[in-house]
Amino acid sequence: MELESSLEASFTASGGGAGLLPTRSRIFKIIVIGDSNVGKTCLTYRFCAGRFPDRTEATIGVDFRERAVDIDGERIKIQLWDTAGQERFRKSMVQHYYRNVHAVVFVYDMTNMASFHSLPSWIEECKQHLLASDIPRILVGNKCDLRSAIQVPTDVAQKFADTHSMPLFETSAKNPNDNDHVEAIFMTLAHKLKSHKPLMLSQPPDNGIVLKPEPKPTMSCWC
Amino acid sequence: MEMKRENIPGMGYGKKKIHVVRRYRNWQLIGLEGYAKKKRKAAEIHQALSSDPTDVAALRRMAISEGGLLTDDIRREVWPKLLNVNIHDLPPPPAKELREDSKDYQQVLLDVRRSLRRFPPGMPSEQREGLQEELIDIILYVLERNPQLHYYQGYHDIVVTFLLVVGERLATSLVEKLSTHHLRDFMDPTMDNTKHILNYLMPIIDQVNPELHDFMQSAEVGTIFALSWLITWFGHVLSDFRHVVRLYDFFLACHPLMPIYFAAVIVLHREQEVLDCECDMASVHHLLSQIPQDLPYEILISRAGDLFVQFPPSELAREVAQQQAERTAASTFKDFELASAQQRPDMVLRQRFRGFLQPEDRTKNILTKPRTNRFVKLAVMGLTVALGAAALAVVKSALEWAPKFQLQLFP
Repeated sequence: MELESSLEASFTASGGGAGLLPTRSRIFKIIVIGDSNVGKTCLTYRFCAGRFPDRTEATIGVDFRERAVDIDGERIKIQLWDTAGQERFRKSMVQHYYRNVHAVVFVYDMTNMASFHSLPSWIEECKQHLLASDIPRILVGNKCDLRSAIQVPTDVAQKFADTHSMPLFETSAKNPNDNDHVEAIFMTLAHKLKSHKPLMLSQPPDNGIVLKPEPKPTMSCWC
Repeated sequence: MEMKRENIPGMGYGKKKIHVVRRYRNWQLIGLEGYAKKKRKAAEIHQALSSDPTDVAALRRMAISEGGLLTDDIRREVWPKLLNVNIHDLPPPPAKELREDSKDYQQVLLDVRRSLRRFPPGMPSEQREGLQEELIDIILYVLERNPQLHYYQGYHDIVVTFLLVVGERLATSLVEKLSTHHLRDFMDPTMDNTKHILNYLMPIIDQVNPELHDFMQSAEVGTIFALSWLITWFGHVLSDFRHVVRLYDFFLACHPLMPIYFAAVIVLHREQEVLDCECDMASVHHLLSQIPQDLPYEILISRAGDLFVQFPPSELAREVAQQQAERTAASTFKDFELASAQQRPDMVLRQRFRGFLQPEDRTKNILTKPRTNRFVKLAVMGLTVALGAAALAVVKSALEWAPKFQLQLFP
């Protein structure tokens, strides 16, 4: 239950000013998908609550987290839809939640090669569910703090990301020093969605967050 | 806090000393009158247990009625009766190769390792880890013996409840029986049947509160918020173990679709909160998927029983089937949807569908049907499940919830 506590705050915070008509802020809906145990819940929680959750359990069906951010002076709600990793759930359950999504985040576990090998099927499935083909997609390799256990080399992942025209981010939802990095990933995505222009990753978000140089965030251009 | 200790499961049950302390605490908490009532019920349960043959119908009534089966000690005796499991014929301890041979082992391991919250707070980690190993063994054992069953995330939330209440060996038998009956549909190769059961949710809500139903339909909230409720029998979302076992008493004594009626009752109970929400998928999904921990369980249980009697699955099946057909229709409308994004084809279709049914008739039903004999009728239906358990699984999967079948078994 604790997991979702951050949401209440963001809901009320975005509820509108005193006495004024509540201004409806724009909503960006982002779906987060990938194999079981790659860290989808931890990543979304990190972004929405600002910290790594103490205990997470298997996500059953779809969970939802939200955070309001300011981008270029505009208040924007970022909705993250956190999905179950087990295959049987995505087949008949999750498609409802692909509706009207603005962006897709594919997640794999850098210490688990199988989760990387599953990516093509996730990408294929995503294609089937999404009506528009130009929806921004990014690839996130999680758990980069577990250096000695890394199974997916960065160059292999980068090559894969290039093939599918996605930017790649390697990060850790757990490592406290990477907080800004997880933040930056989602903020970069939000900027991209706001601008509707090709994402320029060299350009840091306006709120002053700078991408952490170590471990080197590997990112490619959106072309 | 005191109460919480009472039900810490798997910890030295059967010890007399603990028993005395429990009684004293109960007395303090529920008062003399409540205590007398509870004591009377416990006596009735024991009487039903010791009659020859065991009075299963009476046990079902006890499991459904206020307070359920009262204590874990009683549950250990009654749950096997409700599932018609012979406690003298329990499976052997798990073989070592169980884990090596299982295709589900990795997924089960991942889920069980992460399921720390299911264990009583304060349990020494050594003890918890031992129970987690047992949990893995039970799951793999049942899957191995029943290759037609498929593991799903959330299954472990059900199994852990049985493990904590009755211990490993008996839990294995109970869970196996449950998996081939009540949980059978969730364990198909796909979740299509699970989805089908979820499709009962909105029609039930519609029968009782069309306004709430329409609001939720306009929000396009779907039914996934109730998915974990259904397939874990609420074990995944309720943090107080006492509430979980109370619900298990109820569900074990009832028709396999009862959890979906209970889900509907929770939504109906939160009517005002839902209607106060912004009418969009995210807000409503978020609200509903955060289940309040202080629900009036006894009231909701009896309401779910009422609803089941008033709108049995056989009556709802027609509407559910129609909904299913619409879904299919809606998906073939994709091009149309693209062309006129404003128009929401679902809404158009839904309105068309609503024309078929007279809303007045639907609401009249619930107002005029008498609310009598609830427990009696429920208990009879429960009894039917026990007698026809094997038949139920076979016929059900063959006919895929055909209304005709429902009618025969649950008149």
